[in-house]
Amino acid sequence: MTALILQSLYSGLLSGGSYALIALGLALVFGTMKIINLAHGEMVLLSAYMAYVMENRLAVNPLLATPLALVVACLIAVVVYFLVSRISRNRELNSLILTFGIGIILTNAALIIWSADIHSTSAPGFQEPVVLGPLYSMRSELGFFVASMVLVAALWWWLSRSWYGRAVRAVSSNRDAAKLMGINPHRTEVVSFVVAGILASVAGVAIYSTGVIQPALGASLTTKAFIITVLAGIGSIPGVLVGAVLIGVVEALTVTLYSSAIQELTGMALFLLVLFVLPNGLFGAARRRG
Amino acid sequence: MRVRVLIPLLVIVLYGVVPFALAGNNYVMSILVAALIIAGVALAWALLGNLGGMVSFGHAAFFGVGSYISAIVTMKLGVPVFAAMLLGGAGAAVAAVAVLPALRLSGPYFALAVLAYAHIFKILATEFTTITGGAGGILGIPTLPRVLGYDFGSKVGGYLVIVTIVLLFALVYARIRNSYYGYALRAMHDSEDATRVVGVHSTLLKALMLFLSAFMTGVVGAFNAHCINFLEPDYAFSSGWTMLPVVAAIFGGYRTLTGPLVGAVVVYTVDQLVFKSLIPSGHQIIFGVLLGVMILFAPDGLIPLLAKKLQWVRQPRGCRDPRTESVC
Amino acid sequence: MKSILRQIVALLLLLAPGLSTADAKEFLLGAELPLTGSLARVGNGTLEGITVGVEIFNRHNPSHKVKLVTIDDESSPAKAVAAVEKLASQGVVAITGGYGSNIIGPASDAANKAGLVYMTSGGVGNELTARGLKHFFRTNGSAGYTKAMAGLFTDMGIKSVSIVYSTKEATTELANDVAKAMRARKAKVAMHPFDPTITDFKPIINKVKLQDRSEAIAMVGYENDYVGILRAAKVLRPATVKAVVGVWSLATPKMAADFPDLMPNVYGTAMLPYPAGFRTAEGKEFADSYKRLYRKEPDYLGQFGYVQAQILCEAIKRADAKGTLAKGGLADEVRRTRLNTLIGQVAFDKNGDNPLFQQRMGQHQNGRIIIVWPKESATGKMNYPAVPW
Repeated sequence: MTALILQSLYSGLLSGGSYALIALGLALVFGTMKIINLAHGEMVLLSAYMAYVMENRLAVNPLLATPLALVVACLIAVVVYFLVSRISRNRELNSLILTFGIGIILTNAALIIWSADIHSTSAPGFQEPVVLGPLYSMRSELGFFVASMVLVAALWWWLSRSWYGRAVRAVSSNRDAAKLMGINPHRTEVVSFVVAGILASVAGVAIYSTGVIQPALGASLTTKAFIITVLAGIGSIPGVLVGAVLIGVVEALTVTLYSSAIQELTGMALFLLVLFVLPNGLFGAARRRG
Repeated sequence: MRVRVLIPLLVIVLYGVVPFALAGNNYVMSILVAALIIAGVALAWALLGNLGGMVSFGHAAFFGVGSYISAIVTMKLGVPVFAAMLLGGAGAAVAAVAVLPALRLSGPYFALAVLAYAHIFKILATEFTTITGGAGGILGIPTLPRVLGYDFGSKVGGYLVIVTIVLLFALVYARIRNSYYGYALRAMHDSEDATRVVGVHSTLLKALMLFLSAFMTGVVGAFNAHCINFLEPDYAFSSGWTMLPVVAAIFGGYRTLTGPLVGAVVVYTVDQLVFKSLIPSGHQIIFGVLLGVMILFAPDGLIPLLAKKLQWVRQPRGCRDPRTESVC
Repeated sequence: MKSILRQIVALLLLLAPGLSTADAKEFLLGAELPLTGSLARVGNGTLEGITVGVEIFNRHNPSHKVKLVTIDDESSPAKAVAAVEKLASQGVVAITGGYGSNIIGPASDAANKAGLVYMTSGGVGNELTARGLKHFFRTNGSAGYTKAMAGLFTDMGIKSVSIVYSTKEATTELANDVAKAMRARKAKVAMHPFDPTITDFKPIINKVKLQDRSEAIAMVGYENDYVGILRAAKVLRPATVKAVVGVWSLATPKMAADFPDLMPNVYGTAMLPYPAGFRTAEGKEFADSYKRLYRKEPDYLGQFGYVQAQILCEAIKRADAKGTLAKGGLADEVRRTRLNTLIGQVAFDKNGDNPLFQQRMGQHQNGRIIIVWPKESATGKMNYPAVPW
């Protein structure tokens, strides 16, 4: 039993790493613009398809597709920003519907271009086991976990130390005041979308390298990212990481202790519980949602 | 004046002309019935959005609950189909009680919290095998019955039932909207605090709108179950039951009464008859394009846009702002 | 010289239908299949087989011309019902169709109401035939898959098995049937249902490894699930496991090509070995026609589609000869079918099921698929005990 639980904690931790990568971009844009980008999961998905295209057409290692995925994801991110910023009124809700629409467009575009078939990497070495005592994982899982930790740390450093990062935080806490301080809020918001795109592109390559992709995946990635953002609370990078690992571990433990049939249910229930009981999330700054 | 002419005309067309003109064409008739099912949900969704100020991304939750309850009470308890449909609606309203805590949440949080409920209900329907038949679902759900010698189980019969349901809901919606509470509810969008001062219990009113919207969606879901005679969790709680009504309501104009209805019929039939043949795989892309275009260029929807263009709107009765007046 | 001859033959073949249709009786055959949506791939695969079946029938029966009318049901039950109704209004004599029990159920209900024969190979659910519809027929039920899976385990002498299955409809049902069959054979069975959206199977496989300590893993799911399960198993390497066995969409050339590192020694249901070797004249004709039309090797979907079209076309011809076609005699004629087809014996019982149906089990070996069960159909020796890791 101990071995089972240890392994499920480890599995949950590793899944949490890739969840964090997906959720961070959503949380960043949410923090800056109070906009939930419901097309975020599709951005991740299209990055994953770029990795597939590179591997399938040019027979290169999917990791080398990251630059292409980066360009595609950032391009989508900028287009989403451009469209969202044109919304004239009630931006909070209308942006939700607009990005929902963009998500539908991207999902169906993927379906039209690549059909409903499943795809995953066949590059050698990615799925080789790595054994650490009683803990087992694939090489790619562990690799991307480390990569995501590095990215989280980099993002945290960027937000707290760099000029742009501070500008992002300033715009997120008070847009008008930031403007008076000489920060161009538009440029800052574009930057936050682009950073979300960068994170999405790495997440996409990671998903293609460790799991299986298909067009319908995007929406469920967005839902998961949103759940984690809520668990974290707005504006907390470590919160997103903890939230992501928490979801990963809760899912894995549900499988180990009961059954995988209800693992989505426990995730959703946790989400609603936090939403109702801790309106600011686990780590959020004090801000009401009601 | 125009309304007085339009409504009887509409009723004559819907009950007198359409059934006879299309009776021979089952295919078009079943597309029309499916469009009206979407219209019913779109209306319920728009009611919650317009009067309750809440955008939901999980109406599939109520649709599924209504359809399952109606199917189960007819098959296990022998309740007559029409009564069971009302029970289905009531069951969806009861399920909405679980959603009550979400009323405290603001816009996006509420929208996605309801989505979580839709997921949870679907998993519960899969897991409670003894009642719901689990993933295998329920086959052979009774069709609409024969009443006074008329077979409502036929295509035209089904059409008459769903048209009546949708029209009744529209009537209820219109009544509420033009009542004192309707004004209070819409005033709430602008300032919740102000309405509280005036003495309107906003949370209670919002809760009532949620129940009503859930009830309507549940009844329509129940109708669909008896129409298609089959249910399974993936189908009953499919995200399509959320997506299509949202597209229809946004396209038509969710702050108007006619918008969601016209939107549903136009969007669904055009998609089925035109886009499906143009883009066989992935034609739903058009829904995304529609949503984007409407939000960016005509956030009020098609009906107010047309009204403005055609000068339907007469100056009196405060019709200037499409957000506050739209019987027009 | 040879190529000129070939051109002349081709020209004659082109002209031949034109000449013969003048006096050929035309029959409309409806096809309702998911050509788009989540089931698009299997729907299109089945349609390819049906098209080949109709083409071969028309070639052999110049006096009868069956014309296929296809409507896409978009993987949606409501659209499937609408499609059946549209086909009925166009005057088809029967409907060949359907993939997924959830779509076949309502669609065949609608066909039954319209008094049209509905023939399918795409739904294994027991509830379909439990309805006892007069006009419903299917060539392959869940029982044929259970028999194959349990039969293979029995031949291997497996004493304990862990069944890992998706909570979707067809998979849950088959998993329960296999569990029942294995328990009846005194084997220890552990059940592991999983949510269709999960991607990390390690926690499940770890339970198999540490708690169940089973001799075999039975996977009942779909392609993405197989990939996830096999990857998890490759990482955890449960030592007690001697065989990994799946069902549909697993022992296919596509899986062998896409996942060469995962598939070795994995078993799955397979009607055909790969490269496809047809021994009978009929099989060869099918494979040739298929390759000519679609420029690829036929797969199991095409094979099932071909058989369901073949049975219907033959029955239409017989009913027409007796003059009962217009009077609803087609269902009786289909029920009289006794055929040895590409998928084995076909004869329908009163509920429209084909109790003679039995799947075969194939094993991935060196990028090829070898039929290893039942013994009389085997094309090679089974590697056992053997696992992909």
